[in-house]
Order: sequence, then C-alpha cells, then structure tokens
Amino acid sequence: MKCKDVHNKLIFFLEGDLSEAEMKAVQEHLSECGECALFAEELKLTFSILETEKKPEVNPFFYTRVKAKLEKQEEQSIERRPVLARVLQPVAFSLILLLAIYGGIKFGATSAEQSASLTLKHELIPYLNEMDVEPIENFLMQ
Amino acid sequence: MSDNDIIQQLKQGNEQAFRKLVDSYQGLVVNTCFGLLHNREDAEDVAQDVFVEVYRSVSNFRADAKVSTWLYRIAVNRSLNHIRDNKKHRWLSSFESDVKAEKKRLLQVESSQSDQPEFELENKQRAVILHEAISSLPENQKVAFTLNKYEELSYNEIAEVMELSVSSVESLLFRAKKTLQKKLYECYRKKCM
Repeated sequence: MKCKDVHNKLIFFLEGDLSEAEMKAVQEHLSECGECALFAEELKLTFSILETEKKPEVNPFFYTRVKAKLEKQEEQSIERRPVLARVLQPVAFSLILLLAIYGGIKFGATSAEQSASLTLKHELIPYLNEMDVEPIENFLMQ
Repeated sequence: MSDNDIIQQLKQGNEQAFRKLVDSYQGLVVNTCFGLLHNREDAEDVAQDVFVEVYRSVSNFRADAKVSTWLYRIAVNRSLNHIRDNKKHRWLSSFESDVKAEKKRLLQVESSQSDQPEFELENKQRAVILHEAISSLPENQKVAFTLNKYEELSYNEIAEVMELSVSSVESLLFRAKKTLQKKLYECYRKKCM
C-alpha cells in the first residue's frame, strides 16, 4: 500500500471503520513507514482530545443564570408595553383631532354654500326680476 | 418523574419541573453547544438561551417526540445561529493561517505560565488545530460529527435529530472524517502541528 493510500484511510483505520484486509494492510505499512507512523500517532493524539472534552464540568450556578435570563426577558417585555402605549396614544389622539378638524371644516363649508345659495335666491333674484318688484302698469303710469 | 411528567408540569408553569429539566439535561445541552462552538463561555451562554427557549415554547412540544431530541435540535440551531452571527469575514484566510493565528494567540496566553508542562501546551495546540478543522466543516457535516463524537449518538439518533435518513447521516460522517483528515494532513505537512 502506498503512503497516499494510507493517508486517505488513516482516520478510518484509527476509528476501526475499515475491512479486516484493509486494516491489516494499513498496519503493515505503518510498521514499515516511519513518516506515516508519525502522522498516524499525531492524528491519534489529536483525536484523543475529543475524549477529554466530552464531559464538561457541571456549573452549579447554571440554573440560577437561566432563571436570571428569564426574569430579565420578562422585565424587558413589560417595559416595552408602556413605551408602545406612550407612543401610540398621542398618535391616536392626534389623528382623531385632525379628523374632527377636517370634518368641521367640511361641514362648515357645506353650510356656507347652502346659505349663500339661499341668499342669492331671496335677495338678488328679486332685483334681477323687476317685474315682481314693480308691475308694468305702475311703470307705464309714470 | 418521567420526561413526559416534567413537560406536563412545565406546561402548567411548575418551576420545580423546570429545575428538574435543567438539572437533568444541562450536560447534554452544554456539551452539544461546546462541540459546535469550542468555547466554554459561549457554550454555557447559548445553553442558557436554549433552556429559556424551552421554557417559552414548551406548549409547542409534541408529546410523541423525545425531550432529548427536541433539546438537541434547539441546541444545534442556537449554536449555528451564534456561529453565523459571530462569523469573522475571512475572505482571504485559509485553514492553516487560522490555525497559526490561534496557536500564536495561545502561545501569548500560555507563555506567562512558564511552569506548564510541555505536553499540556502541545495538547492545547492540538486542540486548537482540531477545533479549527471541525469549525471549517460545512454545517451539516459539523453537526453530524459533533453529535457522533461529543454526544456519542448513533446514526439513527443523529438522523432523528437532524431529520435526515440514516444513509444521509452515514454520508455526512464519512465526508466529515475525510475532510478532517485532509485538513489535518495538510497542517502536518506544513508543520503547523
């Protein structure tokens, strides 16, 4: 087996994931090739790190910190509500006020138009229609 | 108290049940987060967020699922989000340059501890190399490798957590190991080991 082939199979050799024949071939190569044996040893030592890291120490204050985070989140969500209310309420009131002003203006404008048209009818039209004001007989008598 | 009993009581807001859940599964969650993040403080921080999420979303938990599977999924998702949020923009860096930078940082930290045995320093350097190699894996391979090596989950259990088929998990683990071996050999050849 060549060095390149061994390099490709080394991790599987260390994990025991190769067939019996391949395991034997790799083992034989490692016993003959110092360079590959060194790399195999280095790889083995590197992966052995995983064994030491597997079981972390249990932090006795872990639950306390989880509770603190939960409480902090609850406080933040309560604080957010008044802020929203403080912003939304004035906006709502302003909108209602603007609508009321607009409505008032529109209503006022409509009323003015109506009274203007009434004035036109009763005051101006009689001056345009002289026959009603002064009958023709009176005019001819002059 | 069984897991289902704990969950039922937790749905009713029972704090004792929550404490029991945290005590029972703290190791699992912290270990999973550490396998992905390779930093103790970050792993604990993310693990705490996992349990906060569990508390908030316990009503969504289906009774037919396993509690451990649910916890693994949240831990993996939170850890991957943490990695994405903190990812440095390494446009031009390579695995070897990252390893050298981490080793340099380690040497600066450890040089003050002159009484430290040499083999301990070598082990720490190996850990740096291994962590960088695992971190450089694609996400799915990283998750499968972490669950297999740090939590010793079987292919079936990993498939359940990742919602993949067993053959997909086998393929992910095979590719993860091949990639790791290749990176470690390149590092060895360039004398960064």
